Amino acid sequence: MKKVLAMVLCLMLVLSASSMALAASKVTLITMDLMDQHWVNVDKGCQDAVAELKTQGIDIEYKLDAPTSGKDDAAQIECINNAYANNADLILLASNGPDTQVATIDQLTKDGVKFIYVDSAANYPALQTLATNNTNAGQTAGEQLLAKLTANGVTEGKIGIVNVNAATTSTVQREAGFRKAFEGTKFEILETQYGEGNATKSQEIAANYITDGCVGIFGTNEGGTVGVGNAIKEAGGTVVGVGFDKSDAILGLIKDGSLLCTMAQDPYKMGYEGMKSAAKALAGETLAEQNVDTGVQVIDATNVQ
Amino acid sequence: MQSSQKRNPLKRILTVRGAGQVITVTIGLIVLCAVFALLNPNFTSQRNLNNLMRQIAPFLIVGIAQSYVLITGNIDLSIGSVLGMSCMISATLMTRGMDPWLASAITLISCLAVGILNGVLVINCKLPPFIATLGTMTIARGIAQIVNNNMNTDAIGDGAMAFRDFFYYGKFLGIYSTVYIAIVLWLVFNFILSKTRTGSHIYAVGSNLEAAKLSGVNISKVVIKAYMVSAFCSGVAGLITCATGGLGTMDAGLSYELYAVAASVIGGVSTLGGQGILLGTIVGASVWGVMQNGLSLAGAPVALRNIIIGVIVVISVLADVIVRSGKRPRRIRDAVAEAVAAKQ
Amino acid sequence: MQEYLVELQGVSKSFPGVQALDHVQLNLQAGEVLALLGENGAGKSTLMKILSGIYPKDEGVTRVYGNAVENMTPQKARELGIAIIHQELNMCQHLTVAENIFLGREIVRGGRLARREMNAAAGEVLRHLNIDIDPETIVGDLQLSKQQMVEIAKALSTNAKVLIMDEPTSALTAKEINDLFTIIRKLRAEGHGIIYISHRLEELQYIADRVTILRDGQYITTMNYRDTSLREIISYMVGREIKEKFPRVDCEPGDVIFEVKNLNAGRLVRDINLSVRQGEIVGIAGLMGAGRTETTRAIFGVDPKVSGEIWLRGQHVNIRRPEDSIRAGIVLVPEDRKRDGLCVKLSIKDNIALPNLDILCNRLTVVNRRKKGTMTDQTVHDLRIKLPNADVDAASLSGGNQQKVVVGKWLARHSKMVLFDEPTRGIDVAAKVEIYNLMNELKRQGIGVLFVSSEMPEILGISDRIVVMCDGRITGELPIGEATQEKIMDLATRFESKINHATA
Repeated sequence: MKKVLAMVLCLMLVLSASSMALAASKVTLITMDLMDQHWVNVDKGCQDAVAELKTQGIDIEYKLDAPTSGKDDAAQIECINNAYANNADLILLASNGPDTQVATIDQLTKDGVKFIYVDSAANYPALQTLATNNTNAGQTAGEQLLAKLTANGVTEGKIGIVNVNAATTSTVQREAGFRKAFEGTKFEILETQYGEGNATKSQEIAANYITDGCVGIFGTNEGGTVGVGNAIKEAGGTVVGVGFDKSDAILGLIKDGSLLCTMAQDPYKMGYEGMKSAAKALAGETLAEQNVDTGVQVIDATNVQ
Repeated sequence: MQSSQKRNPLKRILTVRGAGQVITVTIGLIVLCAVFALLNPNFTSQRNLNNLMRQIAPFLIVGIAQSYVLITGNIDLSIGSVLGMSCMISATLMTRGMDPWLASAITLISCLAVGILNGVLVINCKLPPFIATLGTMTIARGIAQIVNNNMNTDAIGDGAMAFRDFFYYGKFLGIYSTVYIAIVLWLVFNFILSKTRTGSHIYAVGSNLEAAKLSGVNISKVVIKAYMVSAFCSGVAGLITCATGGLGTMDAGLSYELYAVAASVIGGVSTLGGQGILLGTIVGASVWGVMQNGLSLAGAPVALRNIIIGVIVVISVLADVIVRSGKRPRRIRDAVAEAVAAKQ
Repeated sequence: MQEYLVELQGVSKSFPGVQALDHVQLNLQAGEVLALLGENGAGKSTLMKILSGIYPKDEGVTRVYGNAVENMTPQKARELGIAIIHQELNMCQHLTVAENIFLGREIVRGGRLARREMNAAAGEVLRHLNIDIDPETIVGDLQLSKQQMVEIAKALSTNAKVLIMDEPTSALTAKEINDLFTIIRKLRAEGHGIIYISHRLEELQYIADRVTILRDGQYITTMNYRDTSLREIISYMVGREIKEKFPRVDCEPGDVIFEVKNLNAGRLVRDINLSVRQGEIVGIAGLMGAGRTETTRAIFGVDPKVSGEIWLRGQHVNIRRPEDSIRAGIVLVPEDRKRDGLCVKLSIKDNIALPNLDILCNRLTVVNRRKKGTMTDQTVHDLRIKLPNADVDAASLSGGNQQKVVVGKWLARHSKMVLFDEPTRGIDVAAKVEIYNLMNELKRQGIGVLFVSSEMPEILGISDRIVVMCDGRITGELPIGEATQEKIMDLATRFESKINHATA
């Protein structure tokens, strides 16, 4: 009996009693993981939108869920299933991969659950997609790098890319855009390597690039960018690095000159606008725009905070 | 003196190796479910219970795999990697146009090969099981990566709809097919373990390898069989993963061998061998699944979930040790000491 | 002439470096208990392992029921009806009694285990032997003596006609021994043949019909038990001619420099009192399992003791750990030198330095290399250790030289009392002499020497006084002038009488 009591107490201490509010619409945000600050910002956007909607008299019950141990397709599918079992009316989803979740989304959509994609879409029609136009953003990054190298008087050499993996659409598109920016130049872009978004692994890859004689390196997401910046910082020299996403670590690397600039996505906007769209959809309105480009801001030494 | 007929059958269950823990943990499981139901009534909704059972199924399947090996006194660290390998091989074959069922058969055969390798390394080459299966774990993961040129595969296509429904999306009598698969596997392997000669030998090998050998048991065959069962179950779990996502992912099954150990150990299977029943593995897998599902539905902060799960696992195993500390089988050394003390 | 159940003739077996059996013979009739006796190392276990198929023999003939058997394996032996019950019980603790009895020959009906049938059959066997155990009990829950009975039941259930029992009574209480003997007598009456190995000579009177005695791998004799006496048996067990000459040094024994009082450390070290005088070598004799090694370990502080005092040169020393002992100047040269005496992967220099680092280092605990080198050179020179240089691994030396390194590291710190445990085991003859000389040298220098040995000639050759232990107690002390092999063996087999005569 002691053990039973202990278990119950344990749970009670740690969990906040979930509100059993009735009648409010339920919206669940499901992200890829909770490691990156990126998702924390999406969540914040959602929370602020919910608060604002409340003042307007719209009551939304908001939940956040994600796989507990990093990017995991099967686990994310179960998160979607759990949200469904929890009677979610609408799911804001940042899909891990373009195809793996499709069958589940299909089943649920047929059962009346509404979907809006944030940050990464799956290959299945949903009400709206709010994401960065990754291809354009990648191209911007490439253009920034090219400009800086030209300004330094470097017109040819090796360029390295540190991507996440071959499956995540968003980062794959960023790479595609980046490569487009270098078409027709004398620069040689090496075979892409994958760091799984893990800063340490990405740093090792970037360090290898530097040893190999690269003049420029591109990190395609937050973890990759941090790794690239750290590697450049450690090696010193004149290698130029550009990246993606915003975090305190990345801002610091820009300030001390290790990184040239980063493409800051607007995850907050994704969450905020996404939740606003969700409210509209739940009220029965049709959403005008199918694709919302939440855009990127180039952050470099001139405007870093 | 034949009092066995008059004996209370419940008492018999309690004295069978490791069964006492099953009862303790089942009580814990029921309490857990009650708590989660209180925290969120949706926990007991039809929808969620269906989901829950489907979520428990893969844990039960890899749990069976690990239990077989643990009872022989060994361990199998390659379960997760074999799962990934199975997912990738089946998906790759299917994306090249092969019939899904043929692809599944070939996949399972390749998994059995890994199982045989494990068994041979452990019992014939006398490698410590931790090291041997660590090696095959890495090899299997490597195969998973190489099979499709270090890329996740494309979607396995609409021709595989039947396959996907069979393993994950389909329902039969209102319950997901995955659950049936897990139950059938459990029935088959539980029968083997508790009612056949092979099963008896599996317990004997785990209890006292020397004694089994001297009594004429072919320990080589027994250990290899156990590892083959483990690999087969991991393979089936891999097919389920493939069906779930509809494509092959190289990092499928990561860490599953440890979840398998958790499910087994919570259910009373001892890592020292010779002890535990598969009924316990069901309870263990259920505890694991219920916790993941319940915490999600209760809105527990994602970051804290792992801690909570770990704490509850420790409590449930600790409870067993405390409750049963008086009834452990005595070791020879202690028995001798007692005998001597009695003499003096 | 009655047909023998089993007959062994001319059986020889050698292991690398030692001839374990040399043309040994043995026969067993139906309906008798044959006691197989001999010192440790006489070859009894080896002979039985050959009979039961665990070891192959080098030469000789094995006959079962008059038919010669080649290439005996455990499987074959079982089929022929030979079962061996080892000293270390071989039960699967997690399985039930019935499962253990049927292990390897489970009854299967249509793919399923026929549990009810097996339980019933097991119950039959147990009842037949008047053993009150439920066949569905888990073996691990049974007392050791009951487990032993289950082993006997297991052997019988395979229709064994020949039962070999190796030291069956060592862990049993008086009542349990009675029960065991009742079973043995019953089996004998039913026509089984039992080979009974034991050192507890005075229990033999209750069950033995004949005795066969081995010594140093040789067959000595076989007699009817009632035609002989314990004295005669003992004399056959040890009656070798001692041909070797041992270097003996005569010294006038001085004051007592080392005393052990009331030492108790578990079952094998009970109320031990000994003393060693200056200029004296004291030898500790006894059988395997008598508690001699355990006593040295308890003195040295390796094993915890329940009570006891150690006095060195009139001073009480409080020993709780080996450190305390070393600091006081009492050191141990252990039985297994490769495992406990040396770090075989380290160099000679490191080995010699290891326990002496406190002497070799300065206040900041930095080791002084030059001092280390000097200490090593001195030791190598003093003990005449043969090595190419001091940096080779200890594993590469011969046994004798390894032993010297083990002793040398203690001598480098001028110890006052050295305990040796089987100092010349596994060492060639020439090196043995060097070790004896070393021990004599220590004696001459006034350093106390206490040594444990299982080789009778060695004990008689080197000791000035012999202490004999049996089953954890000291059963006697003999000054060298009065000591003989027979007396030592007599004292070594003086087990406490467990059986009361009323049940004989």
